[in-house]
Amino acid sequence: MTAETVIAAAVGGDKRAFAELLEGQYHRIYRFAYRWCGNVPDAEDVTQLVCIKLAKSIRQFQGHSTFSTWLYRIVVNCAKDWQKSQSRHLGEAALTDDIAVSHSASESAVLLVQVLKQVDAMGEGFKESALLVLAEGFSHREAANLLGVQESTISWRIHEMRQRLAALGSSPGVWKRHHE
Amino acid sequence: MNEDKLSQLFKQASVPEPNEIIRARIKREAMAAFILESSQGNAETARPTETSSDVNSKQRGATMVNSKASMRRVWTRHIASGAAFVLVLGVSLKLVLNSLDDQTQYVSSHSSADEKSIHAEQDQPAATLHAIAPLDGKEQVATKMVAPSTNRMAPRFDFYTLLPRSESVPHQDQDAALSLEETHRDRFSHSDESNVKVVKEQPVSTFSIDVDTASYSFVRRQLNQGVLPPEDAVRVEELVNYFDYQYTPPASPKEPFSTQVKVMDSPWRTGNKLVHIGIKGYSIDQHAQPDSNLVFLLDVSGSMDAPDKLPLVKQSMGLLLESLKPSDTVAIVVYAGAAGAALEPTKVAEKGKILAALEQLQAGGSTAGAQGLALAYQLAERNFKKESVNRIILATDGDFNVGVTLDESLEDFVARKRRTGIYLSVFGFGEGNYQDALMQTLAQNGNGVAAYIDTLGEAQKILVNEATSALFPIANDVKIQVEFNPVAVAEYRLIGYETRALNREDFNNDKVDAGDIGAGHTVTAIYEVTPVDSNAKLVDASRYERDAQTKANNSELGFLKLRYKLPGELESHLVSTSITVPDGAHEQTTTEKKLQAEVNFSVAVAGFGQILRGGKYIDNWNYDDVIETAQKNKGDDLYGYRTEFVQLVRKAKTAKAL
Repeated sequence: MTAETVIAAAVGGDKRAFAELLEGQYHRIYRFAYRWCGNVPDAEDVTQLVCIKLAKSIRQFQGHSTFSTWLYRIVVNCAKDWQKSQSRHLGEAALTDDIAVSHSASESAVLLVQVLKQVDAMGEGFKESALLVLAEGFSHREAANLLGVQESTISWRIHEMRQRLAALGSSPGVWKRHHE
Repeated sequence: MNEDKLSQLFKQASVPEPNEIIRARIKREAMAAFILESSQGNAETARPTETSSDVNSKQRGATMVNSKASMRRVWTRHIASGAAFVLVLGVSLKLVLNSLDDQTQYVSSHSSADEKSIHAEQDQPAATLHAIAPLDGKEQVATKMVAPSTNRMAPRFDFYTLLPRSESVPHQDQDAALSLEETHRDRFSHSDESNVKVVKEQPVSTFSIDVDTASYSFVRRQLNQGVLPPEDAVRVEELVNYFDYQYTPPASPKEPFSTQVKVMDSPWRTGNKLVHIGIKGYSIDQHAQPDSNLVFLLDVSGSMDAPDKLPLVKQSMGLLLESLKPSDTVAIVVYAGAAGAALEPTKVAEKGKILAALEQLQAGGSTAGAQGLALAYQLAERNFKKESVNRIILATDGDFNVGVTLDESLEDFVARKRRTGIYLSVFGFGEGNYQDALMQTLAQNGNGVAAYIDTLGEAQKILVNEATSALFPIANDVKIQVEFNPVAVAEYRLIGYETRALNREDFNNDKVDAGDIGAGHTVTAIYEVTPVDSNAKLVDASRYERDAQTKANNSELGFLKLRYKLPGELESHLVSTSITVPDGAHEQTTTEKKLQAEVNFSVAVAGFGQILRGGKYIDNWNYDDVIETAQKNKGDDLYGYRTEFVQLVRKAKTAKAL
């Protein structure tokens, strides 16, 4: 079966096709979730959210957008919802998670977690724009379509991100913590 | 730092490979959600459709999912966290059942005298009644009974009762409770591995089939906690039979099951052969399946108020509805404090109504299990149809699990109802329910399965993928007898089935009970045999024995006989086939290759089980060989069970190294 027919069959309620679809998409869902969360257990939770959401809403996919766009919309929404629920319930635990990361992950992984935290602090929409454009390789236009904003908004966010990261990067103390 | 550097950073910061067990679990849960959704979609008919600007509805949807998933998150973590959790959910002894007949008086007694008698009988099963006393903390408040002192009940009964009053309990008592629970829970009857038999001395091997899979669940739990299971906990045949094999189904529904015999080289001992017996019950598709008259008997007592209990029960029952026909009926009885009907018998066509009734259930109060059971049978009787499958589905966290005070009258009650045509299946929920002797006994007496559901994925396996096996028995008291040909085979050994051995004469005695096969069930049994001309023999030939080497008939390794009864019949049928070595000359067809892969996978599982039991007979075969064989023969593995198996073997390897 081609990717299209698998999707079509899954939309039509075919179990086997959905299983195949899930198998095919699992890795990219997990990858995004891992980058979003910065640690494995949380990434698994988000992946689970996405897969179940996907299972529940696949029948509503009508092909107005590409499947990939549609899927990432779910992924981004689930990741954001998860983050909200985390900040509501687990203000304390988030700190310990950071420590756990710095013990097990590589230097660049730790750095990435910190940079993404900065990016997230820049405002609503920055983190997902960064992940979609810089990590997943979507064009500004695709990311805009996916997130339901103007293309110019994405371009502005990426531009703004560059400026502010450059400013932060030169100021002492920001990267210090993990080197200590 | 700019965006280019950030893109680079994304590339450098590698994403770890997803954990395959988690992946398999998530996949199963998503499959379950996919199937559940189709049921709700059908019930509601109107489905929301995607529009280009439906961000709001998506948000709503996602939030809704999120609340459920965060709950799931809690229990998946718990399960991962291991032994401590198991102990917390220890056996609770819930209600004293003094007698149980059609007009029963339900006496819950809390006097210390009665408790002592229960204490005594835990160690020495009494011939009479007793069991299951409501000693739940909450309930004692509710019924204003005098709570026995915590000290006295703590070590024996319910660890739950300790929790709300932990400040009043001295520490050593909690510890005592824990250690008692611990030794109490995981108790296994010891069985020696079937040893090698010399054909000339003992040419006939007889045993009952076994479709239980509990041993696999237990082994999985242990390995996921990073420890090797005790050898006695490993029942090789239950490991093998956990998996569904794509054996060729029977040609016509006239024969309830097909039997295939494959002879192949033993992977772990050169010169030996494996005789692989695969049984496949015919599957009935949804249109052909008989009408079902089901009563869900759900435990909604206070102890069910855990994410992996009542919520999982609701979802599981929702999944089970998917396996039913619109014309089937479902009723719901709950028990907690007092038993009550939550839903009168309702056609599955009105799925929405059933789902709504399930949704409303809340955990709380104490347990009145016997009352619930009686009421469930009442409802089933009221709606009884002779040509239907009339069945009670009991879902509980183990309040019926007090196997040590074996309750003869409860057992008899269930057996008596079975003879009137109402069956009972038992589904256990919540982690740590392994000591499930009474549940097994009840299900056995009720012609049903006792299964254990710890995740939505497991619910999916039992209630959807294998629903027909659980609901519709197609052959009862299935026994296998193999007679080996002394001319061709010197020695043989049955792999697993140690606890299922029968006497030679039991085979033809229809009064002797044996295992049942459900629709679509697969059952596998494997013998390892040493041909007469092989060097792999373990037993020396007898010096004085006259060797009657006749060339006649030495192409036949043995003769296989199966006996079974059709449901409702008292006399057994016999099927038989000879066991021959394939000539191996022709090339395998695609179908044969597929079949061989299924056989090979089951052999890998059997090898794994034997390694876990000490690997006495399998030479140097090791975990890596298991992994390699399993990987090669994984097949479609639609639901990831076989992938999970491979991961378990890796875990065993790691655990072994520790």
